[in-house]
Amino acid sequence: MFDLEIEVNGKQEQVSVEADTTLLYLLRDKLGLTGSKDGCRSGDCGACVVLLDGKTVNACMVLAPQANGASVMTVEGLAKDGELHPLQRCFSESWAFQCGFCTGGMLMSCYALLKSNSNPTRDEIRAAIAGNFCRCTGYQALVTAVEQAAAELRANNV
Amino acid sequence: MSDTHIVGKRVPAANANEIVTGQARYCPDIDLPGMLFGKLLYSPYARARVIRLDVSKARKIPGVAAIITHADIPGENSYLYAAADQPLLVIDEVRYQGEALAAVAAVDEHTADIALAAIEVEYEQLPGIFDPVEAMHPDADQIVPGEKNVLSSHSFSTGDVEAAIATADVVIQNKYQTQCAEHAFLETEGGVGLVEDDGRITVYSSCQAPHRDRMQIARALAMPESMVRVITPSIGGAFGAKDEAHVQIHAALLAHATGQPVRLIRGRRESILTHVKRHPFIVEYTTAATSDGKLVAVKARAIADAGPYTNATQEVLHKFGEFVGGPYKIVNLEVELIGVRTNNPITGAFRGFGAPQAAFVYESQMDDLARKLGMDPLQIRLLNGVETGTKTYTGVLIREGSAMKASLRKAAEMIAWQKRHSCERQPAPHLRRGFGIATTIKGSGAGRGIADHASAALEMHRDGSVILHSAAADMGQGIVTVMTQIAAERLGIDLASITVTNADTSRSPDAGPTCASRQTMVSGNAVLKAANTIRDSLLTMAARKTKTEKHRLDLKVGHLTIDGKPHELSVKDLALRASNWGIPLHSESLVHFEYPEDAPMATYRFAQEVFQFGTQIAQVLVDCETGQVTVERLIAVHDAGKMINPGGVYGQIEGGIAQGIGYALTEELIVEAGLTQNPSLENYIVPLSLDIPEIEIEVLEIPEPFGAPLGAKGIAESPLVPTAPAIRNAICDAINKPLYRLPMTAERILSIGDD
Repeated sequence: MFDLEIEVNGKQEQVSVEADTTLLYLLRDKLGLTGSKDGCRSGDCGACVVLLDGKTVNACMVLAPQANGASVMTVEGLAKDGELHPLQRCFSESWAFQCGFCTGGMLMSCYALLKSNSNPTRDEIRAAIAGNFCRCTGYQALVTAVEQAAAELRANNV
Repeated sequence: MSDTHIVGKRVPAANANEIVTGQARYCPDIDLPGMLFGKLLYSPYARARVIRLDVSKARKIPGVAAIITHADIPGENSYLYAAADQPLLVIDEVRYQGEALAAVAAVDEHTADIALAAIEVEYEQLPGIFDPVEAMHPDADQIVPGEKNVLSSHSFSTGDVEAAIATADVVIQNKYQTQCAEHAFLETEGGVGLVEDDGRITVYSSCQAPHRDRMQIARALAMPESMVRVITPSIGGAFGAKDEAHVQIHAALLAHATGQPVRLIRGRRESILTHVKRHPFIVEYTTAATSDGKLVAVKARAIADAGPYTNATQEVLHKFGEFVGGPYKIVNLEVELIGVRTNNPITGAFRGFGAPQAAFVYESQMDDLARKLGMDPLQIRLLNGVETGTKTYTGVLIREGSAMKASLRKAAEMIAWQKRHSCERQPAPHLRRGFGIATTIKGSGAGRGIADHASAALEMHRDGSVILHSAAADMGQGIVTVMTQIAAERLGIDLASITVTNADTSRSPDAGPTCASRQTMVSGNAVLKAANTIRDSLLTMAARKTKTEKHRLDLKVGHLTIDGKPHELSVKDLALRASNWGIPLHSESLVHFEYPEDAPMATYRFAQEVFQFGTQIAQVLVDCETGQVTVERLIAVHDAGKMINPGGVYGQIEGGIAQGIGYALTEELIVEAGLTQNPSLENYIVPLSLDIPEIEIEVLEIPEPFGAPLGAKGIAESPLVPTAPAIRNAICDAINKPLYRLPMTAERILSIGDD
């Protein structure tokens, strides 16, 4: 067993895991954060994208011990005090999803994009989600949602 | 219904908040006290006799709660869709790669994996049959003993096809091949079974048809259906493959065997190997026309590869045949439909039910015909297209068909069709640009003569809030949102006042499967009917209270209105009065898919009578050195009747086209001697965000005149149908060579070469 400390969505957690436990399993089964989804376990679908020390990773491709001492942010950490992040609201309003299984990972990829680029073009948004597979939409409504959220965030920061 | 207050609005999906916060619960997210983890043992071979299956060592592994084989199934060891020829667990012979032999329940996934590895199986590999044409041979080995390899063979004809072909000016004859395609829903198949205190079995099922699941689980457990409850949690996509049962039955069997909750989720590889795929088709097709481009006859023969078991093969072939002539006026038509067993992957329902295969063929033929006659591809389609009042070759009178030509004209206008070739056709020596058009037809509903009904229940409480019970499965396409909007509209309340329960067979009667673009019409009508009953009670009371004739009253945005003007009485006031006076504000409806009484019966059995038309135009750039195709523009014009929610309708169109682009260019389950070569999302190539252009969409809102709730009809399947032929015609326009096989991969395009 491997004891690790990890900050998840601002909360300090201490957990014991088998050395071959993935970060995805840790989040979902140990911490009950099931917003990150298990779609392939091979890093192909992006349904489990989370931020690891601010960088997007497929949580299924990271071993939990590698995240020891790190800070992780998942889709559950996006809303603050019950208030949705603009990305979340714009995703809803634009029908940026249908079944919603890709949404947690998709939101985190988009969140990371807006952290580094406050005014992305549609092509840059598409490139940022190129590792997030969505089978329901054509990505178009989703790109629009990100554009709208970016505009809102820019307006709020002025 | 022009002054609707909620219907027609782009409100967020009913479950949007749970989804964006990560709180929506799908099968893999269900965690119950004492829950075990289920896994299935899958065959590595496409065809083999099982000489020995020994689970005794595996059963002794600590942490293994149960291992069941065919011998441990209390009831029927078979799925039941159209036939009962597919076992839940193999008895003595595996017939396709990935067929299940045993089910394990263990304390955790790791232990379940160890148990699977400890199961001893001795196989004797048998020569499989992988070519459907070979399997059709009278001397071919029987794939399922006692059952013919040709599991379905039907033909339909109208007019005099041979005479029409003999006298036609032009005859185009080609052979087409379409591929085995994977649904690639993001949430793999899953189920969670548990035993209630009173012995009933509850199953959370990622499915499209909760009541059919209940029936299948009950017969496998040899329990009455009243002892089985199926609930759908959130579902991560389905696209047809979850219409047929998968592992939810095994989850129930394991829960029953152990008395503990069991969660059984397929891994991605198992999912791709085992669930039904889109049927590969081989089609021989003849089109006959006059020299001025008028179609005079169509003759087709289609062979579909079913894999070893029946599944939805007959239904898929049936729909292929129904739409084999396309949205065209054809008097002489003949089609032969053959479904054949092989040892390839099983095949069944996939968005469109045979219509995408048919469209690829008939729309390729139309372009080949236009080319041969030197006609414009748009004009030849306008010349032959159906209209309102056309009697189709299936004997159906089209009650609303204006969208066929309207969609063609609108799409052509959007891309300036007549001037399309004024762009740079060869932007570099190795690059060729081309334009292709395709226009298609798809029906809603199971088809006339097939049971096609739904129930819904609504209850308004004393505070004006409403609960809606429906067993219609929502896999993401939005039926719950549609039902909520219809109920809110008729009851004059806001969406926040309505709570919808998950589909639950213990609460709601059958709403039928979510397939065939039917739920907006059938469950939509069920909700409309139930809401109208409650509305009538509210208005009766309001009429009494305000001493006003009922026809002057309406309910809008929370209030009673008289002659359109808001009155001080709110819907809440009326609900409270009803409660105080003991007037029930509860209604449960049962509706059937409706057909006008005077409509003639179709000559094609079980034909659909409500149609979605759509036209797409693709602009592509072909790299003649690499074979790479870039879809530069995609114009899509579709009709959906009256849109209940434009967000949902546009979403269905974009998503259908994304799948259509994959179907056209990259998606193919590569199966060699029955063994799938690409069972992963890495090697089964689906389009991602950079592979799809900005799709230019126009929706034609032409209300369906009969049997459609507020004029709305289904849209789920039709947007996928024209995409592949539109792209095919664009590639052919670019490289000036015809293509007859899907997908049109770079390798295949290169092998044809440029001129």
